[in-house]
Amino acid sequence: MKFLWRGRNRRNKELHEEIQAHLTLAECDEMESGRTRNEAQVAARREFGNVSIAEETTRDMWGSRWLADFFQDVRYAVRTLRKSPGFTAVAILTLALGIGANTAIFSVVQAVVLAPLPYRDADRLVMVWENNPRFPRVWVSHPNFLDWQRTARSFEQMAAYWEKGVDLTAPGAPEHLTGKEISSAFFSTLGLELALGREFSREEDRHSGTPVAIISNRLWRNRFAASPEVLGHSVTLNGVDYSIVGVTPPGFRLEHDADVYVPLGQSDPMVLNNRASHAISSFARLRVGVNPSQAQAEMTALQNALDQLYPDDNRDLGIYIEPLKQEIVGDVSGTLLLLLGAVGLVLLIACTNVANLVLARSTARAREFAVRTALGANRARLVQQLLTENVLLSLAGAGLGLLIASAGIRSVLAVAPELLPRSENIRVNAPVLLFTLGVSITVGILFGLAPALKSWNADPQSSLKQGGRGATSAHHRAQSCLVIVQMALTLILLASAGLLLRTIRHLWEVNPGFDTQHLITFRVGVSRSLTKTASSTRIAYQQLIDRIRQIPGVQAADFTDVVLLSSQGYTLPFWIGARKPASLQAAPRVAGFLTGPDYLKTMGIPLLRGRFFTAEDTTKSPCVFVVDSVLAQKYFPDSDPIGQTVSVGFAPMGPCQIVGVVGHVKLWGLRDPGIAPQNQLYVSLYQDPDQWVPSNYPDTKVMIRTPLDLSALLSAIKNAASASGTDQPVYDVQTMQHIVSESMSSQRFPMLLLGSFACLALLLASVGIYGLISYSVTQRVHEIGIRTALGAEKQNILRLVLGQGLRLALVGLAIGAVAALALTRLLSSFSNLLYGVSANDPATFVSVSLLLTAVAILACYFPARRAAKVDPIIALRYE
Amino acid sequence: MAAQKDRYQNRTEILQGTLDMLILQTLQWAPRHGYALSKAIRTNSGEVLKVDTGSLYPALHRLERKGWIAAEWKKSELGPRLRVYRLTRSGRKQLLSERSRWETLMEAIAGVLHPSAQGRKESES
Repeated sequence: MKFLWRGRNRRNKELHEEIQAHLTLAECDEMESGRTRNEAQVAARREFGNVSIAEETTRDMWGSRWLADFFQDVRYAVRTLRKSPGFTAVAILTLALGIGANTAIFSVVQAVVLAPLPYRDADRLVMVWENNPRFPRVWVSHPNFLDWQRTARSFEQMAAYWEKGVDLTAPGAPEHLTGKEISSAFFSTLGLELALGREFSREEDRHSGTPVAIISNRLWRNRFAASPEVLGHSVTLNGVDYSIVGVTPPGFRLEHDADVYVPLGQSDPMVLNNRASHAISSFARLRVGVNPSQAQAEMTALQNALDQLYPDDNRDLGIYIEPLKQEIVGDVSGTLLLLLGAVGLVLLIACTNVANLVLARSTARAREFAVRTALGANRARLVQQLLTENVLLSLAGAGLGLLIASAGIRSVLAVAPELLPRSENIRVNAPVLLFTLGVSITVGILFGLAPALKSWNADPQSSLKQGGRGATSAHHRAQSCLVIVQMALTLILLASAGLLLRTIRHLWEVNPGFDTQHLITFRVGVSRSLTKTASSTRIAYQQLIDRIRQIPGVQAADFTDVVLLSSQGYTLPFWIGARKPASLQAAPRVAGFLTGPDYLKTMGIPLLRGRFFTAEDTTKSPCVFVVDSVLAQKYFPDSDPIGQTVSVGFAPMGPCQIVGVVGHVKLWGLRDPGIAPQNQLYVSLYQDPDQWVPSNYPDTKVMIRTPLDLSALLSAIKNAASASGTDQPVYDVQTMQHIVSESMSSQRFPMLLLGSFACLALLLASVGIYGLISYSVTQRVHEIGIRTALGAEKQNILRLVLGQGLRLALVGLAIGAVAALALTRLLSSFSNLLYGVSANDPATFVSVSLLLTAVAILACYFPARRAAKVDPIIALRYE
Repeated sequence: MAAQKDRYQNRTEILQGTLDMLILQTLQWAPRHGYALSKAIRTNSGEVLKVDTGSLYPALHRLERKGWIAAEWKKSELGPRLRVYRLTRSGRKQLLSERSRWETLMEAIAGVLHPSAQGRKESES
């Protein structure tokens, strides 16, 4: 723009120079014909005519009249806005808040939902899951995966992985690291180049292959100082020396963070070679021209063939293919789009506010426009100029809004769920800037349109006659409408935030079935030197928990493989007695827990019948199970469950005898579990069969009950963990309270954001109604003066003004309530956010309506008081 | 003084729409700056046609924008820089078409003014 300016300035100067030269030459000619210099000058000028008109009309020939007008408008707009700094500041600030909030939310939506995955031809990447009659998708069994890999023709490449943390003990201090065990072709299927080195070969991706590892870019920087010589160095993971063969590109992450990648094929053969064990995730790259549903068809046929080959393990097993992006983005996209809609409402409110300000100002400027129209300004030009002014305002608002947005993004991330996918990419980038630019121009035109059209219709004569106070009633109606719209929009936001707030309150009131207070959980990486055999492992874990129990302040402690409410649960098929059902895939499911004998006491779960495990329940004694009240009532409604036998698992354990019934606990989350099974079954940790010990024991977590603070206890816990060797890291330390609150994050995150949007809306709307009422008080000073002179009491005036505001608020409330009833239904339908309240919960609606009314009355009170204080003499003299 | 006033009054304003053609025509033989151009038109018309400077410069800039003439700054011995215009190739084409249009128009007007002459011409052929 500056460049254009400069070009124009230069041409203006040149034109001037050209015409001056003309005059000089004419002067010389005149002098030659015998005139004096002065006479010559006068003659030349007279001959030429009006210089500035000639320049003006010449300039018109340069074309792009529109552009010239535009620049003129911009200059004029800047001047006018500068002249009323108060109006300009309020308008820009209001717009900045609206645009800033929108930009912040849009950058989240952009990064999480809209941006493509950072892989080559990412739309050809799909997740391949299995499914069964119980669940729409389940993890994949490794032998099945290998069969697909050999035969499926829909895919260019397939890869598999699972999440597997590791304890790194050398080089450097022992540390637990997140990790993945991945198949060969993991990175090439994604279409990703490693930053250094290579991925695993097929030879390495099998049992007893060479131990090789790929490390994350982060680990490479932190532990190896980003040295290019890291390849070939060794790291000790879970007591085994691995040689580093590769480093991931910076920022790489598939689903969960991982610092270390090791070959999947070298993992526990008990799990890998068991067709009944569903534990891995698999993804694939579609061949060019193959779409997901064709792949689904081929894979389903393939899976049917496998089901025939292995009826024991595979009967009723199907295939579920979904785009990788859908798997990674998950169900947050609904919530985010909902928030984008909500923040759009905030922007609308900001717009109506500014439109109101502009309207009020245009009343004051009616005279200016009338004069300009009378002087021959064309109306289209006036409208163009008004719009320029408004777009300029909103661009300034957008500039400030970007600053607000970058602060906003930080606070959104602070309250975002820990697992908000792809959150690391959230920033203000080119698409976001484009969005903001588009929004601000649209907004500028939107809020400028009403006043502009108004001035279009205005009759210059009446405006001039009334000395600038004309058209007040028409303006007033328009302004009142805008305030009503604001009230309605604010009510929608308040109601939505209110419903979510009540949801959270309901969730806090849900009885989880155990005592969430004074509970701490953590994990210990027990040294591999102590876990060479199943029996030594049992002893090592027993000694560890004994040491932990001796920490002063620890009231009870034990192991479990599942921390409640932290989305760790797993399910197993089960059946009463010894007769195995024909199809395990279709059999009823139970949520399993592998725990020590003190688990019940530690968690505060009530024992309802019989007994829990004791130290005597070991592999040498008869195997026993404990079940929860739900299973007991459902499967033994009329008989005593104690003494009955149950079998459980794809690689079945049992039949074992039920020795106790305990209270049901909330495992999957505080809200209704949906399709997740409610039945729960406990297995004694010390009865876990030898072959499962190597994979089950390292997966256990310690729960401790203590009245002490976590910080006070942490060093004692670390001491207890390292007493049997220094290479035992303590990690994943959390209080149960934190886990409970995090389990509500999918409700809390939108609640916090909607709540702050609602507050913002409330603020803007109260400024809006305050502005309108005080403006109308100023306009009616004369009338109020007469009323007071005629004997109206202060009370009456107060009531008059408050009544005016209240009427607007109530109309807005009524409209808003109808709209909110329709919109909150959305809240309950597509995002599944509400719990314990219906979408049209009367208590919520009544309380937010009251709140809004109270705020409106408060906003009107100040101008009303001013009106009541009007001195009739001054008011009348003022006229 | 009186004589001078007459001189001005006796000059004819240039017909709307012909200025472009006159400018192009005048630039046909040599590039000129604005003042020289207006002087040339006046002299060549035997002091009859007066170029209104208020239309000359807009016309020059319009023709330049259309690409029919091109401008260049030149030093003059008198002192000030002069903006000198010259005819371009497309300007030459434009001049031809304007001239032929003008001649058609002149003939048509002549036909209206002297109907007998026109008729005679026709009968001769």
